[in-house]
Amino acid sequence: MSLWQKILKYLSIYRAFFKASFVADLEYRLNFVVLVIGEFIWYSTQLILFEVLYRHTKIIGEWDLHQMRVFIFLILFIDSIYMILWDPNFSAFTDNVRKGSLDLLLMKPINSMFMLSSQRISVSHIPCFFITFGGLLWALNQLPDFNWFKLLWLIFLIPAGLSVIFCGRFALNSTSIIFTRADFLQYVWYSLFRLGLRPDAIYSGALRIILIFIVPFAMVASIPARILLEPTTYWMILWALVLPFILFSLLRRYWKFCLKYYSSASS
Amino acid sequence: MKTQFTAFLKRNLALARLGIVTNLEYRFNFIIDAFIQPILSVGIEVLLWIAIFKTVDATGLIGGFGRDSYLAYAVWAPFLGRIAISWMYESMMVEEVVSGSINTILTRPLSFFEYYLSQTLGYKVITTVFSMTVPIAFSLFFDLPVHYERLPAAFILVVYYILLVHTMSFIVSTLGFYLTRVRSFTLLKNLSLMLLGGELVPIDLMPENLSSILLSLPFSSGVYVPLAFITGRGDWDLLYRGFFNISWGLVVAGILSYFLWNRGVREYTGTGA
Repeated sequence: MSLWQKILKYLSIYRAFFKASFVADLEYRLNFVVLVIGEFIWYSTQLILFEVLYRHTKIIGEWDLHQMRVFIFLILFIDSIYMILWDPNFSAFTDNVRKGSLDLLLMKPINSMFMLSSQRISVSHIPCFFITFGGLLWALNQLPDFNWFKLLWLIFLIPAGLSVIFCGRFALNSTSIIFTRADFLQYVWYSLFRLGLRPDAIYSGALRIILIFIVPFAMVASIPARILLEPTTYWMILWALVLPFILFSLLRRYWKFCLKYYSSASS
Repeated sequence: MKTQFTAFLKRNLALARLGIVTNLEYRFNFIIDAFIQPILSVGIEVLLWIAIFKTVDATGLIGGFGRDSYLAYAVWAPFLGRIAISWMYESMMVEEVVSGSINTILTRPLSFFEYYLSQTLGYKVITTVFSMTVPIAFSLFFDLPVHYERLPAAFILVVYYILLVHTMSFIVSTLGFYLTRVRSFTLLKNLSLMLLGGELVPIDLMPENLSSILLSLPFSSGVYVPLAFITGRGDWDLLYRGFFNISWGLVVAGILSYFLWNRGVREYTGTGA
């Protein structure tokens, strides 16, 4: 099978997944509406936090309120993409391991990582995607002399940020194969993700270097926001281009390593 | 009467033990829950507040309080926030009602409410005992303004608040009698509590009108009130006000849960073996 045929095959499977998720999510309408409201509350809390803080200070890290709004809307936008594409699958991961339904997913004649990460799509996050994108454009519009051509850099930077979230969450979930029950790893993920919810400028010294190069949560939104808000730093763009390849290569190895420890829990 | 009370006590102690044992069963899971997650949460919040205070004006104060006061807030807020919220047991309660496995509890001489309340308390006690070492260690390390002698009173308030949170979880689970899918209500409720409780932003930093509204609601008694009391931002009056707010919250939630439960159980058809 050629590469093109493979891509077409996976796209058609993904379309089927999307249709099934769309129907499943909209089946319970009240649940769907409440989920959408819940997501808006969550996103609002992130905005409110900084709006309240800036009532009492002019600069946090290196950014003023207008720059911080760009950062916040950017991270919420990237987060909404992640939530739509992958979050429901990762949330069900440890249950799949514990209850043995992982067997069924591993035996499908398609890539196991694709199967485990893309089976469900979160339709309730689609409104957040549009709202946060609108918010990002609004925040950029508030900046004096913003060069709109800089937005083109996001074509490279957003996938790089998403690769950090995807690989980090997938790797953490894979660990549950080794320990059988590791539900609380999800909460570790949420705590780690909070590192990315803050601008990298609040971290200093070695921690900042770690966040850019070793546990690269700064790539999720801090580096993209810097590219938009500050003079272009080319090493950051180069790092954004290289990073996804490194992460996926490491993730693939780690996934294979974890699978060696898998003992089926189903009967 | 005395025998009945002894049976009630024994039964609930056994359930609390069940909550403890269940959570200690998978030790790796427990270590993450009790130590690693609190350390990460506290560490990130501390860094944020240190960064904010690097750029503050010459007075060195924000909203009338200094750096150490906010660091104390950042250290204790995630800890109290985790005690004062219910994700795991509420999801289990919802699942019991929606899936119909509640049948096994309905046919036993104990109530669904107490079955999960005692387990929740057992779980909260064991995680609190271990994870409390994190904020205490941070407080001692940074020499933060914490009134350690006030901790017992603050914890009594938090335990009282858990009763309110559990009643709200009970309300959410009773919705399972009427709706097929109610998990979203857990998300909505918990996010609202995080926002209204002052876990994310100290309530006294918010605009005055908003902060007075939040302080008159029972939800601030889960995080902000005990935290303000421990760190000296508030005094005994604030603590008493917290007890009062939880009490009326419990009355409202109790009445609502009573009606939802009774009507739900009447209409409920138990299926399955």
